[in-house]
Amino acid sequence: MTSVIIAKSKLNDFLASLKSGYQVLGPVRQGDMIAFGPVNKAEDLALPYSNTRLSIKSVFFPQSERMFGYSLDKEDADAGIIKETPKEYPNRVVLGLRPCDAKAVTLVDVNMDNPQFQDPWWVKRRETTTLIGLGCEHPCSTCFCTSMGSGPFDETGLDVLLTELPDAYLAKSLTPKGDQLLKQAKGTDAASPANEKTAAEIKTKAEQTLPQLDTAKLKDKNMMELFNARFWERVQFACINCGACTFLCPTCWCFDIQDEVSKKAGDRIRNWDSCMFPLFTLHGTGHNPRDHKVQRVRQRFMHKLKYYIDKYGDGPACVGCGRCVQACPVNIDIRNVITLMNEYQTSAGTKA
Amino acid sequence: MMKGLLEYMGTEPGRLHFSWISSAESTKFVEVANTVAEEVKALGPAKHFIKEKAEVA
Amino acid sequence: MLEYVGKIRDIARRLLSENKVDVVIGFRQGTIPMMSEPAVVSRPEDVDELYWDYNCGINLTNYLTKRTDRIGVVAKGCDSRNIVTHIVENQIKREQLYIIGVPCHGMIDRSRILAALDGQEPTAVVVNDTEIVVTGPGFERKFNRQEYLQNNCATCIHRNPVVYDELVAEKVEEQKLDDRYADVKKIEAMSPDEKWAFFDKILAPCLRCYACRNACPLCYCPTCFVDESRPQWLGKSIDPTDVRTFHFLRAYHCAGRCTDCGACERACPVNIPVRLLTKKLNMDVEDLYGFEPGMVPDVRPPLDVYRPDDPGGFIK
Repeated sequence: MTSVIIAKSKLNDFLASLKSGYQVLGPVRQGDMIAFGPVNKAEDLALPYSNTRLSIKSVFFPQSERMFGYSLDKEDADAGIIKETPKEYPNRVVLGLRPCDAKAVTLVDVNMDNPQFQDPWWVKRRETTTLIGLGCEHPCSTCFCTSMGSGPFDETGLDVLLTELPDAYLAKSLTPKGDQLLKQAKGTDAASPANEKTAAEIKTKAEQTLPQLDTAKLKDKNMMELFNARFWERVQFACINCGACTFLCPTCWCFDIQDEVSKKAGDRIRNWDSCMFPLFTLHGTGHNPRDHKVQRVRQRFMHKLKYYIDKYGDGPACVGCGRCVQACPVNIDIRNVITLMNEYQTSAGTKA
Repeated sequence: MMKGLLEYMGTEPGRLHFSWISSAESTKFVEVANTVAEEVKALGPAKHFIKEKAEVA
Repeated sequence: MLEYVGKIRDIARRLLSENKVDVVIGFRQGTIPMMSEPAVVSRPEDVDELYWDYNCGINLTNYLTKRTDRIGVVAKGCDSRNIVTHIVENQIKREQLYIIGVPCHGMIDRSRILAALDGQEPTAVVVNDTEIVVTGPGFERKFNRQEYLQNNCATCIHRNPVVYDELVAEKVEEQKLDDRYADVKKIEAMSPDEKWAFFDKILAPCLRCYACRNACPLCYCPTCFVDESRPQWLGKSIDPTDVRTFHFLRAYHCAGRCTDCGACERACPVNIPVRLLTKKLNMDVEDLYGFEPGMVPDVRPPLDVYRPDDPGGFIK
């Protein structure tokens, strides 16, 4: 757990040394938006920035990904045998992601990499990727990370945390991967206790700017009473059932698998799916257990804020990045839903 | 209008043809078929709206 | 337009108290600047939830489809034209509706203002007659209101509702515009390869989230063609051919029906100018059929009927 200083004037030296061992990704400009893309020099980084429009998840879990391929050519000895599509897993660094995104990756790990199931592509990409987070000195007005068990300088899931000082970054290594990266990197200088003190002050100040939403009562609520609560009718009215919230969300992990056949070859592809879509739960029989919008809207919030907590004794499965608040076309605000759920009492007045 | 929108999005004029030919108009059928074949050949193989394999990760 | 708020609430309160309607559909004030939330109220004591400002760009007709109750609905010019379209297409009955007409000054373009702020975050936005005043931590920026209207509002010629039971204010003057289709004509002037490349570029960020489709009041099919599986019309990945096919077909399904309300473009989380497709069709429908959708309730849209004098220039 070492800390070093990277002077802003030496950021390019630092980057150049990273590039000798890693592919470097970071927040870069793409049209009106900021997205994770290749970084060659310090000027490529879209700094300062609030957050990327889309979360980090596509770095580990692309929106569309070829899983398997097969031949349907009768002449081919391997016809009909499904084979894993070969992929490359270069060593990568993501430089400058926000701590909430890294925390979100650890929440998705619960689904993608657990004792029972390991998603091979997620796991390999996680192993070969080093995350260098950039703490948020100025959180957005839609951020509520500290209420969701994360924070503007949360170290969860990161290998290195950067804190921006007036003309340098304080880089704190948090894992053996981070240690190794900083040891090999050029452009670094020893950090002084004064640097550490400034960074600690910046952290405290940033945390104080964030609002506090109460989530303490979610855990003890009765699931069925929350499920049957009348407020869902009101929450769901505006929803148009698009997938903007789920696709932008760093913790939404659902996918759908499709076979695409062209001529004599086929691919098995997985694509992000969204619980907002009617097709998500449509059965082969034609029956759909979530046939109505209210059921789908409720599912999204209940999954993040109740089922996850109950199932894993952890969570909620939200990091408070505020992307869905910003992107929802009809302004359905998860912060309000959290409060509605946390404060919900049944009409009898008993604790729900 | 569909032809208009396709061409607006970059499909080459001459790629898509519409005709109304009665079953009694064999001569017109031959003429139209020949014109279509010539015009499409002149444009070369189609590049657009062709998906051999999904371009995904 | 803030002066409309009181009037909307008064009308809604009266309609609900006198049991003229079962619910009133309007907007609630947004939780963040430049947003608002479609809302429904059913009790007179709740009407103060209703709000109106320059951020009500979502089309409320979307919330009327196949409802069976009596509804008071707040409608600006474009919403009212979509109500007409809904009536023509049997999605709602005129007798069910009490239309609270809102003469509209145009909605402001949130995505363009956010882009102009270049990462600075607005915490308050106030709109006056000429300016949009945006303030945030340590900054204040002013934008010319006319320049930062949503593009569809800047080229709108039906700001006043075409059908209503009551107006919340005097009608506004309609805009006189020389050329509402300059952006479409600019694309038409390109070569086929340039056109193809242009649309490749603007469609590249598409996530297939279907916000454009779902925000559109015209898209009410029980099963959309993208969701059909027998047969499956197109792939579901973000392959560029599939993305383009989706956008092409979505737009084409709106031909002769689209009122250019701009809800699709406003809803897009990745700022794709999807209206460039529907607008081309709107222009062609005007040129070929002299038709503007949603103006009269007893005329079927041109692509829905055959007439002997339909333009047939494309048929050899």
